[in-house]
Amino acid sequence: MSNTSLIFKPSFIRNPSQNGLGRYVCQLQRLVLKFCKNNGSSRGMREFIEEDLIDFAKSNSGIVVYLKPRRHRTAVITAEYLNGDKQWINCRNFTKVEILKWLNLLKTQQGDTTGTRFLKLQHTEIPSIQGPWTPYTFRPPSLNLTNFPEESISKLSEKTSATKELLELYEQQKMKSKGTNL
Amino acid sequence: MASIFKNILPKLISLPRAQFVRKPYISQFCLYSTAPSLTHYEIVDHKADDEKRNLFKSEIVRKINETVQNKKQLFAVVHVAGKQFKITGGDIIVIEGYWPPDAGDKITLDKVMLVGAREFSLIGRPLIQNDLVKVEATVIEKSVSHTKTHFRKKRRKQYQRINFYRIPRTMLQINNIKFVGELDNPPDVTEAKNRQM
Repeated sequence: MSNTSLIFKPSFIRNPSQNGLGRYVCQLQRLVLKFCKNNGSSRGMREFIEEDLIDFAKSNSGIVVYLKPRRHRTAVITAEYLNGDKQWINCRNFTKVEILKWLNLLKTQQGDTTGTRFLKLQHTEIPSIQGPWTPYTFRPPSLNLTNFPEESISKLSEKTSATKELLELYEQQKMKSKGTNL
Repeated sequence: MASIFKNILPKLISLPRAQFVRKPYISQFCLYSTAPSLTHYEIVDHKADDEKRNLFKSEIVRKINETVQNKKQLFAVVHVAGKQFKITGGDIIVIEGYWPPDAGDKITLDKVMLVGAREFSLIGRPLIQNDLVKVEATVIEKSVSHTKTHFRKKRRKQYQRINFYRIPRTMLQINNIKFVGELDNPPDVTEAKNRQM
């Protein structure tokens, strides 16, 4: 057992809100972009706000975006989801593109997944439809009525082996070629 | 030369009657060659067996069509992004690695390798008949995995590296699996309107 299992909380994949069964609902509700107006470490964040934020907010009308300028602190993104999760991302010295990439990730997530580790990558309510295999599945039902030991079933099969068959084919070919050469 | 004709002629005559003719043109070309053996291809006449087989097959197809009409739960094995998943309606699967579909997209999984219900299973070679089954799915999450550690160390060599990485993950909700086509009656190959990239 590695230490990974101690750090990350194990969980199974699930979809408690049944999202996507009917229509898909974006689970991200609120975004708070925190930044400093003059510190260099939030330069990328300021650029993003000046150039791309309006487009982002317009194309995602379901998400509320707050801006929170604060002096001499690093840039931070806080995201709030429908299920109550709150995710915090440190954006110190991030570029404009990096911030957009993280925002897109937050937008497409269902909740905060950073602290959890999936034990399985598949979830099903119906594990088997045809039932488990037993030695009697796909056998002829006539076997139910036979009394064992039965001679006709237990005798050796009379099939020729593959080697023998090949040898026979070879012999046949030999005969053929002899016949055409004449 | 006469012996060659003796070999060829019955085969040529049987051409229109034969059911499974594999590369008949080869035997025609062989008229001009002097090779002793004609080809290793054989013309197999399955006509005698065919009626029996067709009867057997049509009965199976009829039974499957009956069970399909009852709208019972189907399962399928689909090939998605290099991996195979056994799925039924209502399942959730996670696809690892870069995969373009975005959250909220409704997609159909077209590489169906097997489909089955309680009474039957149709096994593809490797895929089942084109447009027979529709597997509908919705992308519900695009996320990244937990942080994984890649740690290398060589003892007594002053060598130690540590890397952290996260794998992109896509969560898919399987909406339903249903029969849309007709069994044993595939559509024309020429129709390519729904397969344009």
